[in-house]
Amino acid sequence: MTTQAQDSAGRQKGVVVVKPVVYGNIARYFGKKREEDGHTHQWTVYVKPFNNEDMSAYVKKINFKLHDSYPSPNRIVTKPPYEVTETGWGEFEIIIKIYFNDPQERPVTIYHLLKLFQSETDVMLGKKSLVVEYYDEMVFQDPTVTMTSMLANTTSLGVSTHKHETDFEDKKERTINKISNAHGKIRYEIDQMNEKLKKSKDAISKMKKEISKLEEGVIMDTDIMS
Amino acid sequence: MATTSDVRDILELETSQTSDYVTKESLMNDGKKKKLKKPDAAVKRPEGMHRELWGLLHSDARYQTDAAPIVPSDTKQGYKQMKARIGSSKVRPWKWMPFTNPARKDGAIFYHWGRVADEGKDYPFARFNKAVDIPTFSDLEYQQHLHDDRWTRQETEHLFDLCKRFEIRFVVVHDRWDRQRHKDYSIEDLKERYYNICNTLAKVRAPQGSEPKMKAFDAEHERRRKLQLRKLFERTPEQVEEEEFLIGELKKIELRKKEREKKQQDLQKLITAADSSADNRKADRKTSKKKLQAKELKLKDGGAVTNPEPGGIKFPDFKASGTSLRSQRMKLPATIGQKKTKAIEQVLEELGLEFNPMPTEEIVSSFNSLRQDIVLLYELKLAMATCQYEMQTLKHRHDQLVANRSGGVASSASSVTQAKPSSLSSFLDDIIGDPSIELGAGGASSPNKRKFLVDTIDVVGTSASPTKKRKAAIEQSNILKKIKQKM
Repeated sequence: MTTQAQDSAGRQKGVVVVKPVVYGNIARYFGKKREEDGHTHQWTVYVKPFNNEDMSAYVKKINFKLHDSYPSPNRIVTKPPYEVTETGWGEFEIIIKIYFNDPQERPVTIYHLLKLFQSETDVMLGKKSLVVEYYDEMVFQDPTVTMTSMLANTTSLGVSTHKHETDFEDKKERTINKISNAHGKIRYEIDQMNEKLKKSKDAISKMKKEISKLEEGVIMDTDIMS
Repeated sequence: MATTSDVRDILELETSQTSDYVTKESLMNDGKKKKLKKPDAAVKRPEGMHRELWGLLHSDARYQTDAAPIVPSDTKQGYKQMKARIGSSKVRPWKWMPFTNPARKDGAIFYHWGRVADEGKDYPFARFNKAVDIPTFSDLEYQQHLHDDRWTRQETEHLFDLCKRFEIRFVVVHDRWDRQRHKDYSIEDLKERYYNICNTLAKVRAPQGSEPKMKAFDAEHERRRKLQLRKLFERTPEQVEEEEFLIGELKKIELRKKEREKKQQDLQKLITAADSSADNRKADRKTSKKKLQAKELKLKDGGAVTNPEPGGIKFPDFKASGTSLRSQRMKLPATIGQKKTKAIEQVLEELGLEFNPMPTEEIVSSFNSLRQDIVLLYELKLAMATCQYEMQTLKHRHDQLVANRSGGVASSASSVTQAKPSSLSSFLDDIIGDPSIELGAGGASSPNKRKFLVDTIDVVGTSASPTKKRKAAIEQSNILKKIKQKM
């Protein structure tokens, strides 16, 4: 690390550390509307490390900003698991703000739309939990020296098997393939269109020449007549 | 403001200054009375400064209080300190006196008020009486040099007589021309004759070797000029209106033409972009294996896979220090218009892709480059639509010209020239009629044809419908024809 160039702010130029995370929510239907407050679902919103590691090594706290109708909507979690469990009846956007141990690093903000309802019958009946989660990566560009060491020295969480609800590796493979296929198609069509354009461009210039020739002829004719 | 001299004047006391009449110089407080400013002794040339430079600076300093005027004036005072000293001396006496005007031959005597000082001097306005020098000619000169078949001797003499009387004011000469006895001539004819004679005489009389000064008069040019003015003057309001309308239309047409030319240039750029994208792909194929390895290396390094020639979108590069989410790099920049955004979404939907796929580094870069190419395709399609419109316009014009030709003077060459354009226009028909690039509902192409993604892009709304455009094209050619006729 000492070989890296440092600037005045103590940042290490050219160093990039990537920390993949998974965020989202699970939700379960009560099966009926609760009498006392009309709530229908219990849900949990969470931020998890993609790899099995203790994020508290570099994360100071995570602030989950819930809907204003909840008592004290700013829920702050300082150690794993970073999650908030609540009950409710409606969907809304949760603002997740991740603060880091080094105050020089600006916090990262994630917007997550809380999902409760889905058309799948099992979920609707409350037999199965609804899971909506996304993969994202926190990119630390030129981190500070202290931040770099914190990012590097993470310990594994004690949990025996670390698994996500969604198979992101598989999803990644499929997405890459899809995109490259799509790209091939688009490029083929670009070629086609380009050829066509070139042809019509030539045709236009030819046509223009032809017309100017004809026009000269017409003018000459009218000159003779007049 | 009464000064001592006024008081003295009122009291009829003799002033010490004798005969101090007001002159311009005394009025403007000019000349010797002005205190000569002593050069400022305090300002000395600093040591080491060049004498020439000091001279410039020093003289500048002298005039700083009294800068040189921009407009030349005879008071030598500039615009400053223009304090007229009125009432500082006696007024000059005036007298009712006789005078003769030398311009008059009869020696008539008139009277006017004049200054006593000017008594006995010449009438000051006599110098404005300029006599015109009208040449005269002898019989011999006329016979030898001045003979003109269109003019008789009497007419020429009458012309010179009138010129002398009215001092070559040709409008008056023309008005006073004796039409009873002589042929009626136009002003230009009169002028031409007069100046020709003047020039001929000058040439004949000029001493050997010297070049006499010629009077330039182009009668033909004058006649044309007056004819033009008359034509301009005699236009009816309808004609004026029509002309204005035609000029307006011509401007519009030229504007449209310029626009099209600009589009043509853009088209060239697009084609180059498309070509380079194709080249990239070829290079990709050849080095696909190598690239894979390289990519892995790059991924380890954490550097982004760079795209040398991005197509339509410029994604911001996150080079600034700090933390960010990878998914932010997939966001379309705000500069991209709604139409393009919509086109991207349409194509992505057709391809069955998410609008926001899983943001790993590889996916982000390939997804961004995919969208760049989608925009490129969109732009190509737009360009194609423009091309189609232009071809339709050209084709229409062409057909019209061919029709005119065969309808008008039937030349043997027309059949030859007609053979070529017909094949050309059929090619144009092919392109114009191509369903894959048909404007509007392109999805309705024939079922056996492969479905193109381009068709999902909607370029309608960016331009008028084809029939409307065709109408506009017809109108345009008609107007151009009219303008040509006018010219």
